[in-house]
Amino acid sequence: MASNITYPDKHAVWFIEGNNLCLVTNTDSSGNTSTTTSGRKTWKAIQESVTDGVLMYYNAEPNKVSSIEDSLDIDNVFEKGIVEYVKKCLYMDRAGKTPDANLSQVALAMSQMHDRSWKEISVKAGMQKRDKTGGTRVIKPFNMT
Amino acid sequence: MSVHSLTVKNILSRIRQVFPDAQENYVINLINDALVEMGYYSNKIAHAKISAVANQMWYDLSDGAEDSSGNKLELNKVKRVYLMDNEGDYIQIPRLTDTNLLLTDITSESALEAPD
Repeated sequence: MASNITYPDKHAVWFIEGNNLCLVTNTDSSGNTSTTTSGRKTWKAIQESVTDGVLMYYNAEPNKVSSIEDSLDIDNVFEKGIVEYVKKCLYMDRAGKTPDANLSQVALAMSQMHDRSWKEISVKAGMQKRDKTGGTRVIKPFNMT
Repeated sequence: MSVHSLTVKNILSRIRQVFPDAQENYVINLINDALVEMGYYSNKIAHAKISAVANQMWYDLSDGAEDSSGNKLELNKVKRVYLMDNEGDYIQIPRLTDTNLLLTDITSESALEAPD
């Protein structure tokens, strides 16, 4: 079922409030620009129900792993970072558990080293892998004819 | 030759070089913690369709939110939103920066949290 809005790009807007997407429009249920409300009340909730009417593109959370055979649901440039994260946590646990102050200090230092490595990999790979765009850019000019 | 990719088993074997007693379940939990943090970076772009509901202003995007097919959205950050037009095509709609709308919609605000 299609919507009644002919030009959604002109008559609908969205924004985010916390964990909620807000959709508002200035058209009525027939898709006509609303004239029943004054200018200050023009934007309001969408006035019609449309199955699958909204499509979103978004950053999604990777799938969790639950068994030893699972692969990680992330690009492989991040995988070394995951190993660093786990080592960081395990060294921190060791630092907290060991009764020997010297061993604890060594474990803490190792934890901090892996923490730095984890942050470096995640930030560097996060910047590089934001998208896979490469090559020269071309500006598509307007058609003047 | 296939691209190098790690499984949990590979990670566990690397970890056990240093921590031979590391528990499998604990390491899996730590990997999941790391994956949640990795979700901040745009390494997994997904798309989902949700149904527009008459007179509903707010749509849930929390961890438990689902698309119109009942799949969990697992959404971290919305990049673009499209709305279906009268011909059934999805048209990108702009994001509103001044969100101080005068008219609100109390009937659909159940999506927002009310005081306990």
